[in-house]
Amino acid sequence: MSRIVGVALSYLLAGLLAPVLARPAAAGQAPPTAKGNVYEHVHALAVAPEGHQLFLGAHTGLFRSDDGGKTWKPAHVSTKHSHLDVMAVVFDPKDSKVMYLGTHEAGILKTTDGGSPWAEVNAGLGGLDVHGLAVAPSTPGKLHAAVREKGEGVYRTTDGGGKWTRVDDGPTGEVKVLASVNISTGMGGIYLYAGTSEGLQRSPDCF
Amino acid sequence: MGGLPANRTVSGFAVSPADPKIMYAAVRDGLFKSTAGGEAWMAVGKGWRNLAAVAVNPKDPDVVFVATAEGAIFRSPDGGKTWERQR
Repeated sequence: MSRIVGVALSYLLAGLLAPVLARPAAAGQAPPTAKGNVYEHVHALAVAPEGHQLFLGAHTGLFRSDDGGKTWKPAHVSTKHSHLDVMAVVFDPKDSKVMYLGTHEAGILKTTDGGSPWAEVNAGLGGLDVHGLAVAPSTPGKLHAAVREKGEGVYRTTDGGGKWTRVDDGPTGEVKVLASVNISTGMGGIYLYAGTSEGLQRSPDCF
Repeated sequence: MGGLPANRTVSGFAVSPADPKIMYAAVRDGLFKSTAGGEAWMAVGKGWRNLAAVAVNPKDPDVVFVATAEGAIFRSPDGGKTWERQR
């Protein structure tokens, strides 16, 4: 009798444990490597227009991968700021040498030569805490930037960052990511999508 | 924006340049794909934690990358159906 109970118990235990033991690691559940992890507080990820390089914006700066995200190295950003918190990374889709960074402390940085040198392109911006940056796909000189804290709001340039002008309306709430999407509004413009603390929002880019 | 969790922080967003109606939105514990310009969304992948950003390869829009806040990188070769950890 006790043997039967024992066998039954072991079957029961095996039945209970099997799903636990057999469960494959779900995507995203593996713990990050704590040691030497310099990428804490990742804010942005971008694939360069030619499709080979990946760029990562993080609290600890800008990083580049040439092997599809397996290994990363810091991408030097020439600036007078000793620390850059990179909030947004975007490219001119028609010219991979032209790249913009939105940063927490230095506004917007631009390179026209694939990464060296970088220049601050902040004329007209009300503040330097930039949390979202979007390039219009068909007219890459046109960008939108979401500024937080001082001078909070959405700004637009039509000359690749030469001069920024504050625009009305646009997304509300705390903007985390911004993108110009080539979907016609039917009013002569396209849509600006914003990931925010209040969900995903979209507004015509001609506001 | 049907199918996206309401009132959740959207930290990542990316669009296929080849077909801008195909887009991805990342919330902390979920990745969502729309093939209709954001009118309807479906969850892709599972078990996500601390998602921070998503990107589409402009040269091959089926290839999608996500990054977690801690720097883990995952790659999908098929528009979000399957995922492989890169780092």
